Amino acid sequence: MTSTRLASTGMGTETGAIIAVPASSREAGLTGLRSTALPLGLAAIVLAGWQLAVTLGNVPAVILPSPISIAKYIVERYDILLMHAVPTTLESAAGFVLATLLGVALAIIITYSEIAREALYPNLVFFQLIPKIALAPLFIIWLGIGSQSRIAFAVFIAFFPVVISTTAGFASVDKGMLRLCRALTASEWQIFTSVRFPAALPYIFSGMKIAITLAIIGVIIGEFITAQAGLGYLIIFATARADTEISMAAIVVLCVCGLLLYGLVALGESFANRFYSADNQ
Amino acid sequence: MLAVKSAVDATATHKPLVSVVKVQKTYFARQAPVQAVASASLDVARGEFVSLLGPSGCGKSTLLMMIAGLEQPTGGSILLSGDEIKKPRRDIGVIFQDATLLPWKSAIENVLFPVRILKLPIEAYRQRAQELLHMVGLSGFEHKKPAQLSGGMRQRVSICRALIHDPDILLMDEPFSALDAITRDQMNVALSEILETYKKTVIFVTHSIREAAFLSDRVLVMGGRPSTITLDMKMPFQRPRRFEIEETAEFAKVCRKLRLTIEEAHNSPPPAQNPAVETRAGTIGGGPQ
Repeated sequence: MTSTRLASTGMGTETGAIIAVPASSREAGLTGLRSTALPLGLAAIVLAGWQLAVTLGNVPAVILPSPISIAKYIVERYDILLMHAVPTTLESAAGFVLATLLGVALAIIITYSEIAREALYPNLVFFQLIPKIALAPLFIIWLGIGSQSRIAFAVFIAFFPVVISTTAGFASVDKGMLRLCRALTASEWQIFTSVRFPAALPYIFSGMKIAITLAIIGVIIGEFITAQAGLGYLIIFATARADTEISMAAIVVLCVCGLLLYGLVALGESFANRFYSADNQ
Repeated sequence: MLAVKSAVDATATHKPLVSVVKVQKTYFARQAPVQAVASASLDVARGEFVSLLGPSGCGKSTLLMMIAGLEQPTGGSILLSGDEIKKPRRDIGVIFQDATLLPWKSAIENVLFPVRILKLPIEAYRQRAQELLHMVGLSGFEHKKPAQLSGGMRQRVSICRALIHDPDILLMDEPFSALDAITRDQMNVALSEILETYKKTVIFVTHSIREAAFLSDRVLVMGGRPSTITLDMKMPFQRPRRFEIEETAEFAKVCRKLRLTIEEAHNSPPPAQNPAVETRAGTIGGGPQ
């Protein structure tokens, strides 16, 4: 799952970049307009179609509530939704931060110790083949029903892309640059802080962007299994009561929370780019 | 042995700064050992510009990397003012074929990189970095990043970087071979001008005969299989040197002599039939550069 995500994310950015290449500034303006207008327009058409189908087809709200009724629920009961959004967001963020720290730490070990690399790497890849979601109930057994088991599960499914991309980043360093550092009698620590780590930053951030979405998935699954609060809990609770409208509203809020967290990572990336980009500012 | 003892020994009044004594380098590859340098001996006096000239794969870069302390010889020794060079030293500056600049740092920050690594006071060196960049014609480009500089400009930044902490010795490993011919000529003139201002001892590796003749006080030709130093020749040109010397008959004569020596070494019979060259089991001439 992660690897396909990795691949598809890469492909997506690449195609995006190719499409976004402008021939002239006027064309660039038009392309910019198009790139916002087209997806928004399509989304509007889908929502309108949904609304129309539900209204005209007399679809019961239990099966599919209309977009307008979902929006109305969100506006009216934002307090309940917010109450559940907070633990989900905080747990996801905690899981993500820990997954990033663990991922980078493992990547450092893999990069600097040949024995660790040979022992760890095949196991990590094998580990990745386990359908990890199947292990979620075990985390409840091991760590109880508190937030620690959900955070641990989020770390468990989110750290892998960070390890892989950070290791690739550390290995991407120009060999000539390392030789220059050795000629200058630089210590390993100096090489790491001034060359290896900055060179790996773009890789680390691409791993982090995947990790944040996986961390949210991890927390939601945890909440499905056991929780007294959180959007995952709300979705399961409402669905059990056949209150599809609440489920849908919770999903919308979940999307917003996900966007928010992803946006924070992207913000961190553009902040890092101010110092570690090859382009002039 | 084919190794030619330095001609400077007879003329120099003081001890050589760098002494390479019967150095050999064998890479122990999986299939068979590869001998990159059979036996090389040379002396370089303080302030001298010495070129190591030879075809690709003759072991000249390997020899330079051993002088830099980046590789260990498998035999012989390399001395700097009498001390053996075993690892990189801060009084030796190295310039590589690629500029190898940090892409996210501006030109001046790249020049100051050794100052940071060597934990010297940055602000005290900023002025010097400016001067060096001015010297190589990069005033106004201090805050540009490498991606915005041409290949020649990047290599000039890397020369400034090698000079910033004022090492006694500069080791240059084919620094201009990635540049186009016109830029390369300009760089040769620029380098000799720089060295008139900042006196350095230079060991310069190149496979360009004209470049070696133009820049050097002395040219050592490396070649043969396995490789040794086959010629040690003083360049009879006055300093400061300007580009015009390349048009003189004397320059042509020197280049011709160098070329013939290279070809001779290249066409020499294999080691087994050459009594002057030591033979070893599994010896293969040339090797990784």
